[in-house]
Amino acid sequence: MSTNSRVHDIGGTQGWGEVPYDSNEPVFHNDWERRVFGLMFQVLPHTAKRPGEFRHALERLAPEDYFCPDGYYGRWRAAIEVLLDEYGHVDKVELDDLLGVQPGTSPGHRVAKIAEIPSENLPPDRLTRKPEHRTVRRELEESSRFQVGDRVVAMGNSGMGHTRLPEYVRRIPGTVVKIHPAEVLPDSTAHNLGERPQHVLCVAYHAKDLWGEAAEENVVINVDLYESYLEMETEPS
Amino acid sequence: MNEHDHHHHEVDPKTAEVRTEALEDLLVEKGLIDRARVDALIERFEHDLGPMVGARLVAKSWLEPQFRDSLLKNADRVLEEENIKGAEIEHVEVKANEPGIHNVVVCTLCSCYPWALLGLPPSWYKSPEYRSRVVREPRKVLQEMGLSLDADTEIRVWDSSSETRFLVLPERPPGTEELGLEELAQLVTRDSMIGVAKVKAL
Repeated sequence: MSTNSRVHDIGGTQGWGEVPYDSNEPVFHNDWERRVFGLMFQVLPHTAKRPGEFRHALERLAPEDYFCPDGYYGRWRAAIEVLLDEYGHVDKVELDDLLGVQPGTSPGHRVAKIAEIPSENLPPDRLTRKPEHRTVRRELEESSRFQVGDRVVAMGNSGMGHTRLPEYVRRIPGTVVKIHPAEVLPDSTAHNLGERPQHVLCVAYHAKDLWGEAAEENVVINVDLYESYLEMETEPS
Repeated sequence: MNEHDHHHHEVDPKTAEVRTEALEDLLVEKGLIDRARVDALIERFEHDLGPMVGARLVAKSWLEPQFRDSLLKNADRVLEEENIKGAEIEHVEVKANEPGIHNVVVCTLCSCYPWALLGLPPSWYKSPEYRSRVVREPRKVLQEMGLSLDADTEIRVWDSSSETRFLVLPERPPGTEELGLEELAQLVTRDSMIGVAKVKAL
């Protein structure tokens, strides 16, 4: 199996138990979850405004904060605390004090810094018509390098920056089944390196190609991938 | 992996409550947020949004074959025509279940979900157990969740790794031939539109 170095990139990792399924779950379990949800929307305009930036703040959390006992909204609260420090609103030392926690214990003290991404590792930027409303979608003049039916392999961003390429499909051949509308590239926008818009391709993988012969029968996994992640499959020599 | 040890501890709601309150207070003090706007936003997401929007699309698809075709071919246009707007539906694709084909949706990298069609996602959808396992052993995971599929039914998993959001169009259950739009929509559950359950007649 792949070695997933990013804390959030858990597709296909093993050792997890049963899904904590409850078909009648309330939207929020406690009032504090409700508050964290609401706060996030007002904190973001003062902090992580670019596409992918808030996600990357979550992904940079230390494992004990990402998989924190307070669950999903606890993770959001940790990211809010990190962003307040990083954007200079509340220093992490001051935050410990204001929150009444042990000095040096809030998540900002152990979050990973945003990695330096050499821009030559990203596809070139290109001009697109400015959309009329806030959206990640862009109209590209050029059509995709790929067509439905092409056999492709995802390589892409293997550093520690933000990416939407799940580790479990890396280097595995799959088939393009659909071309979605183009979007800005989160690997770039999350790092403030420009939009670099890309076609987005839906690529289908057979379970046996991903997980080996012991995989379940009759299973196809479809993953949406930005064009810059993809190369044409080369025939095995 | 050591992170597996971290996520099933009991939450002490009091501690979480106190910390969240302290955070909210300092945000107000710093002038970064407005409590009334936070309240309004919570109200909107908790009560005005929900799976009824998606359920109506499903019920209408069962009643009107042309509507179904349009929804499957170009959901964005249908949402525009139906005046359905909101968060997390920039580009939507609808995947139809049919005999021999079952669709199920996940986001392995975070918890992407079509908010404006289904409301906010349930905890299990956001859990590491679901996110990690449903791409590797979907048949087993669905079985554990109470949905047994025939071995020869093809499972199509959709990992929401871009800004495309997926909605499953479940099959219409037998015994519902006499029902109208509203009654049918009442039968369509959130979980059937994620793809972890079937729609049942009452």
